[in-house]
Amino acid sequence: MTDSAAASIAPATAASAPAQASAPQTPKIAVRGLDFYYHGFHALKGISLDIPTRQVTAIIGPSGCGKSTLLRVLNRIYAIYPKLEATGEVLLDGENILDPRYSLNRLRSKVGMVFQKPVPFPMSIYDNIAYGIRHHEKLGRAAMDARVERALRQAALWDEVKDKLKQNALGLSGGQQQRLCIARAIALKPEVLLLDEPTSALDPIATGRIEQLIEELKRDYTIVIVTHNMQQAARCSDHTAFMYLGELVEFDRTETIFTKPARQQTEDYITGRFG
Amino acid sequence: MAGNASLYRWRAIKNAMALGLGSLATLFGLFWLVWILGITFLRGIDALKPALFTQMTPPPGADGGLANALFGSVLMSLMALAIGAPIGICAGTWLAEYARRGKLGETIRFLNDILLSAPSIVLGLFVYTLIVAQTRQFSAIAGAIALALLVIPVVVRTTDEMLRLVPSTMREAALSLGVPQWKMVLQILLRASRAGIVTGVLLALARISGETAPLLFTALNNQYWSADVTKPMASVPVVIFQFAMSPFESWHALAWAGAFVVTLFVLALSLISRFLLARSKVTHD
Repeated sequence: MTDSAAASIAPATAASAPAQASAPQTPKIAVRGLDFYYHGFHALKGISLDIPTRQVTAIIGPSGCGKSTLLRVLNRIYAIYPKLEATGEVLLDGENILDPRYSLNRLRSKVGMVFQKPVPFPMSIYDNIAYGIRHHEKLGRAAMDARVERALRQAALWDEVKDKLKQNALGLSGGQQQRLCIARAIALKPEVLLLDEPTSALDPIATGRIEQLIEELKRDYTIVIVTHNMQQAARCSDHTAFMYLGELVEFDRTETIFTKPARQQTEDYITGRFG
Repeated sequence: MAGNASLYRWRAIKNAMALGLGSLATLFGLFWLVWILGITFLRGIDALKPALFTQMTPPPGADGGLANALFGSVLMSLMALAIGAPIGICAGTWLAEYARRGKLGETIRFLNDILLSAPSIVLGLFVYTLIVAQTRQFSAIAGAIALALLVIPVVVRTTDEMLRLVPSTMREAALSLGVPQWKMVLQILLRASRAGIVTGVLLALARISGETAPLLFTALNNQYWSADVTKPMASVPVVIFQFAMSPFESWHALAWAGAFVVTLFVLALSLISRFLLARSKVTHD
């Protein structure tokens, strides 16, 4: 599995060997020859990479390079819009999620997502968390209370909201709202968590809290984070993928990418010479 | 430096001009509103007493009120809302969430806009031929249906627009939890745009509460108290129309009083809907 993975990464990156060495176990998600078309525009070109289990994988690159698109393929959220098409394979635990027979319900209970702007639902803090759970499981009151508390604790929000669970979630600050969205996603007990620039709308303090949270969450979840902030990628990821114009330029351990990247393009980008 | 100062002066002058013109326009608009309210109040003052709400429309020369007409207006408006609002909300939701990009949706949105600006007398005639002529009976229910045809396009339009204002990330966030689309629409989107949709319904109510033409051909009028929806029923606008055209002083006063009440009601509805919208915007940010 890993051997063939390395082989298929090879055309995209010169540093395929370290990428394989750094992900010794079976990858949680294996992207194989992924192409994506946006109204006929070729937005992702032959992407192949392995996302290791219970580690943080960051995707960086200039605007329009396809990093968000790649993330949005991983839970097939792109499919809600017409005329978008993905071809190739995205294997989650070895099963191709792009196969129409792979149920969206099952996929989305396994792969949670948090967006750039916090979007709490127009309901109470408690119901924001319970809403998704109710759709997937029938829980009694006590069990539900426990699940909500666990999710809020994991998202480091419990202490701030435990006395106002019945209040409208729209009253929370931006940083709290984003942690609420993270809690809402992990309340479903997903295996993978997709974060799409989760801190770009937040101030530095709230950003710091989210980054700390990502560090803690990777014990239980496989995390893929798209970020514009290179320091953030360097701080909180184990692996980094650099994308440019729809192609995966380089994928390696974060350390390697930021200290001795194999490709000139990568070095130019992370040193701020373009992008 | 001198260049900057003159630039600044020029900006200040432009600002003063824009502000002045804007204020004048506002005053101009308010002037008519105050005048209308004032004149209807002054002319109707003789009839503006408790009897207006407790007594029936009188024969010429006698004292009376508009109780039956007010009741008829309220009942027919509520029936119109009961018929039109659910249809309008469903249709608007379909337009915004299920037919957003399709040709069919565009066509229906266009037709709805035509219906929105259709002269209300046309709708009255339509319901007349469809119901009144068939049943050979003017009735309150026919009036309510004519008014509902006015409610539907307003509610469709506002529901459609309010749902389109909900950021697409809200949809994505709900769908990314594995929730199916119909649940997301019902439980998240309609809730998020609740204030706007209620506003649309209130605006529709404001629109129909002054409508005369659709009722002339359908509910007709009734000099007496009637709560039978299969029979002709009085309404404030039709009574105003009838009384204002008459040669009797006491009827004129009642017509003015009715006009005052309707204007005040519509004004209050507009203010309430403004307030609701403003409040919902604050919570959205």
